[in-house]
Amino acid sequence: MAEKEVYKFLNPVGIQVPVETYPLAPRLNSLDGKTIHFSITGEPDITIALEKKLKMDFPNVNWTQKKTYGTNPVQLSDEEMKTTDGVILGVCW
Amino acid sequence: MPYIARLEKAGIPTVLLDFEDQLNMVQHTGLQYGFPNVRTVHASRTVPGPEDVEIWTDELLEALTRPLTEEENKGSKVEPSQDRIIFEGTLDEAQTFFQQARVVPVPVDSPISIYTDGLPIIVPTEDKVKEMLTGTSHQPDELITYQRDIKPRPGMMMGVTRDKGDVVRFHPNDWTATVEKVATIAVMAGCKPEHLPVVLAIAESGCRTGTTVMNSQAVCLSGPIVKEIEINTGCGMFGPGSPANAPIGRVYQLMAINLSGSVPGINRMSSLGSPFNNGGTCFAESTAGLPPGWKGLNEEYDFKKDESVVMTMGFEGGLSGRQFSPGGYRALQKSGHGGIARRLDVKGVPGPHNWLEYYTPSLWANREGAVTLIMVAEMAQHLYDYGFKSKEEVYQWLWKQSFMPLKDYRNRSWVDLTTNGWMGIERISGKHWKELDDDYLLPFNGNTPDGNCIIVASSEEEICLNLEGGRGTAYSIDAWR
Repeated sequence: MAEKEVYKFLNPVGIQVPVETYPLAPRLNSLDGKTIHFSITGEPDITIALEKKLKMDFPNVNWTQKKTYGTNPVQLSDEEMKTTDGVILGVCW
Repeated sequence: MPYIARLEKAGIPTVLLDFEDQLNMVQHTGLQYGFPNVRTVHASRTVPGPEDVEIWTDELLEALTRPLTEEENKGSKVEPSQDRIIFEGTLDEAQTFFQQARVVPVPVDSPISIYTDGLPIIVPTEDKVKEMLTGTSHQPDELITYQRDIKPRPGMMMGVTRDKGDVVRFHPNDWTATVEKVATIAVMAGCKPEHLPVVLAIAESGCRTGTTVMNSQAVCLSGPIVKEIEINTGCGMFGPGSPANAPIGRVYQLMAINLSGSVPGINRMSSLGSPFNNGGTCFAESTAGLPPGWKGLNEEYDFKKDESVVMTMGFEGGLSGRQFSPGGYRALQKSGHGGIARRLDVKGVPGPHNWLEYYTPSLWANREGAVTLIMVAEMAQHLYDYGFKSKEEVYQWLWKQSFMPLKDYRNRSWVDLTTNGWMGIERISGKHWKELDDDYLLPFNGNTPDGNCIIVASSEEEICLNLEGGRGTAYSIDAWR
């Protein structure tokens, strides 16, 4: 019967390249004396308060920051990355 | 996410601060860049910032020091299936297969179809796809590539530059596609072989979907193709019923779902979505309705009059019009009667009158940027008769009407993202935003008039609709014949 005929149906899904996943970077033993970068792309109500608190409560950390109103963070240069120990990305847009 | 991948690969521990409802997207995009387990701390959408940071700052910093778990410390390789045939079975079984759904967790928390827009599709048998492929001279295994260099127009807020021959990557997953896959989806959408060059040109756009707010997608056709495939450019062209408009509009969304892997709540985060995308939106320009000297959409993009193009659009907003009765409009133009004539101070003076003066005051009341005006031919002719001898003159006039003081701009939500908000240089003055006086006048219609777009339609009843966003990018249909 026609309704029992078996057909082949083509795949509409886009071509995906295999993805390799990686371990996260090793974590720090402590934040004291480290350079932690705050990359701000998000909601000022959160990021302004956070920046203030980080600097006040953690004076032993060398805080650096870059800010943009856009969605894409202002990236650290290769040179800056050499002296940066950790990054907080504040992306609540 | 590519930035986080760059940092983590360089050995710099990173933590992401985001909202909990964005977690699906973070994990999904993280996998795309090799880091599905990026450490994330969740801020609140409702707690005031100073209180909120007290809740999670310790957790945020601990994410930089807490040793990695076994899961976080391992890598692997994910190789998705690339089979040409996705299913074998009867037609009924295939219908069930293609209509399957999975539950997407919060912020959706309901089933979302895997291969369709939620409605049934035509199941893509080998024979139907083969028949569809008769609509193009391109080979089935050919990758979708850009058919000419793509450059953003000056008035566009955002845009991409692509070179002819570059492989098209479908946003947001950067997947690619062959002509056969596009033809497969054209079958699913209910297209005919003669629609395929249009569908392939739409595919060239990469079928982007929004990641925030309420992004709407639509396509607009221009050139001989409009008559050739009998697109409705008149009464109800945005509505149901056309066997050309409907499947071509739908195919954009089915390509976004299948070729882009775009899923609400995972990587398509437009808050409540947009009805433009529900079934898809295809409309077209009526060349016959253009006043003398007004360029067609194809010519505005440096194509010739006899070339066919499709403009793909993504805009953060909907479709609206300014309320007036068509009879009131006619009274204005015929003899200067009625409320519009009173507002424009032309009582008793026969037309032509510049009806846009009635229309524009509210255009930038609650949004900024370029606009797309879709007007019936009679109203376009009135603008011509009034004195606008080209579309460009209308764009220029609209742009000049939009100048308002900076103090008004400061009271709005959006900053100018193209100049990094208040931290950059305002384009027209060349001065830093913070150096400008409150009374400094700036255009709320975009940095240049060129982002605006006019489409002339062939309906009779006097109406002008506006899409709350400017022009998109145009792709050649003829290149895909």
